[in-house]
Amino acid sequence: MPAGFSLQDFILFSPVIFLTAWGLLTLILDLTLFAGVDETNRNRANGLWTIAGLIGSLFLCQFLAFEFIGAAPGQDRLIFANSLNGGLLYTQFASLVLLFAILVTCLSMVWNFTTHWGEYYALLQWSAVSMIVLIASEELITLFLSLETMTICLYLMTAMEKSKKRSAEAGLKYFVYGSVSSALFLFGLSLLYGQTGSTNIDTIGQTLAGAERPGLTGNVAGGVAVLLILVGFGFKISAVPFHQWAPDVYEGAPAPVSAWLASGSKLASLVAMVKVMGGALGAWSSTNSPTSPGWVGLLALISAATMTYGNFAALGQRNLKRLLAYSSIAHAGYMLVGVIAVGISSRREEAAAALFFYLVIYGLTTIAGFALATWLDRDRGTEEIDDLNGLGQKHPYVGVAVCVLMLSLIGIPPTAGFFGKLYMFMEALNVGGQDKVTMIGLVALGLFNSVVSAFYYVRILKAIFLRDSDRKPLQWMGPEISLPLWVGAGLALLFGFKPAALLEDMEVVSRSGLRFAERIVPIEEKSVPGIVTPVRLTPAAPLAEPIEAPNTNN
Amino acid sequence: MSNQIPLTWFLYFAAASFSIGLMGVLMRRNAIGVLMAIEIMLNAANINFVAFWRYGPTHSGEGPISGVMMALFVVTVAAAEVAVGVGLILLCYRRWRAADVDELDTLSG
Repeated sequence: MPAGFSLQDFILFSPVIFLTAWGLLTLILDLTLFAGVDETNRNRANGLWTIAGLIGSLFLCQFLAFEFIGAAPGQDRLIFANSLNGGLLYTQFASLVLLFAILVTCLSMVWNFTTHWGEYYALLQWSAVSMIVLIASEELITLFLSLETMTICLYLMTAMEKSKKRSAEAGLKYFVYGSVSSALFLFGLSLLYGQTGSTNIDTIGQTLAGAERPGLTGNVAGGVAVLLILVGFGFKISAVPFHQWAPDVYEGAPAPVSAWLASGSKLASLVAMVKVMGGALGAWSSTNSPTSPGWVGLLALISAATMTYGNFAALGQRNLKRLLAYSSIAHAGYMLVGVIAVGISSRREEAAAALFFYLVIYGLTTIAGFALATWLDRDRGTEEIDDLNGLGQKHPYVGVAVCVLMLSLIGIPPTAGFFGKLYMFMEALNVGGQDKVTMIGLVALGLFNSVVSAFYYVRILKAIFLRDSDRKPLQWMGPEISLPLWVGAGLALLFGFKPAALLEDMEVVSRSGLRFAERIVPIEEKSVPGIVTPVRLTPAAPLAEPIEAPNTNN
Repeated sequence: MSNQIPLTWFLYFAAASFSIGLMGVLMRRNAIGVLMAIEIMLNAANINFVAFWRYGPTHSGEGPISGVMMALFVVTVAAAEVAVGVGLILLCYRRWRAADVDELDTLSG
């Protein structure tokens, strides 16, 4: 039913509409009210205004979650003609993106890296908007559109740092890699549309699951589509071999923007990836028979390469932002194990919940890590790991917070990072069938890589606690840096002691929002009287055969 | 509609222009050239969408024109991307006096 839009659609989507309008207001206010004030105060005024808008939107999200959706959480809510999700998946992840955005805004207020504050904060708000729409999208059109809006905002934010040449270079590099990968992604989507005749993720999933020959055997166009879609997502989450942009961009961008790239952009892209790979392409995930290929094998290879490369390349880094970039690549590798588990597990909702748990914790801890880099940028202008020398003696509490963060990133109890890895790898090990060996191999490699990662995270701790300061001491952090740092460390510790609370929330979210097409097992055509053979959906039109021209008179 | 062109012709054309665009991205040194090649790739995908919309099956439950809608939105996205891309190229040109992608190599390691 191609339904029209009802008023409720707009009410459910009010946080997004509100924030979009707030971004426009930010631009106007910057040019009128804040135009005369000096740089530092202009930054601060715009930043506080942005935080007010983000908090307002967050409040709206939670209000909707309690008032409208909370009454019937299990209900499948789709709004705007089935193109967007309007349920708990949307409100909860929107709140999370907004929380990340608030922390990033705090970090942006720390020092004046640009003069265009109105534009900067408006882009920050609009990229948050497009991340929310990306998470909520149930259609390839909205998915591609929001993915592009998000990255276009991020290209500009990356190039915003005026005083450094490397920022412009990072922006252009990000743009070239990003737009090439989205062109590849789009071509993959067009082939997928040709196979199924639909752009709705759920309809695609049903169509592929109901096809007469499930799987990818002999389907060249389908294989190319999967490959190109994986390129697109692999770029967005910085998976090997599409990772080259990540270290350069994370190092070149201003530290708050790097934090935003590593947390918000990664979160939104991974949720979309779970939807597309698990929901739309679930039927092509794996192998019903040993001879038929699927994307699981390919993604397992990418995952193994990503985590190994990320961790080993991080070992030699001296720049804190670059080290965090490689750490973000390595974590993308672990998260892909979770994506594979969602694709083939029989407990898909639980597997998705475990992956989301990991994503939340990773996002929070990595923002806190970049808060440290922001501090160094403000006081020293560089962000070498050696700049942290002797920090523990001057600021012991900060040292403790960083210690919690690093333990969480390594995955050592009692921090939340440990439980994230534990839940995700347990779900991966729960996978049965012939992919069990692959999953055991991936989990073993993941554990080995966690040990390797300890070496470079501990180097940060060593600089903080064991070395003596040899440089000009750092100033007091100020509330803008300490808030993200303490929120990250505090939540990593809190969910380390109470992991079940977050996991249950994530399970509710994934149960209410994710829809996976069940693979229809071909039923033996027995003529049992009284039982109607289940109606199959239209199978995909074979691509190889040209469609015959209708009869013509010539 | 006499003399209807078969679907495969459109697909071959789209695949060919997509490959041309990809080769352009990989071989061009000038950033403007890369930008043009990316546009060719996006348009190749658009041809696919419109061709599949014209020939492919449709589902009840959604409008019949999702392929065309996608193509329209892609045109918009491509325009936005060019605007941002040219801005970034200009920014780099002002700093380096060059618009070649391989001269931007201060970040590495």
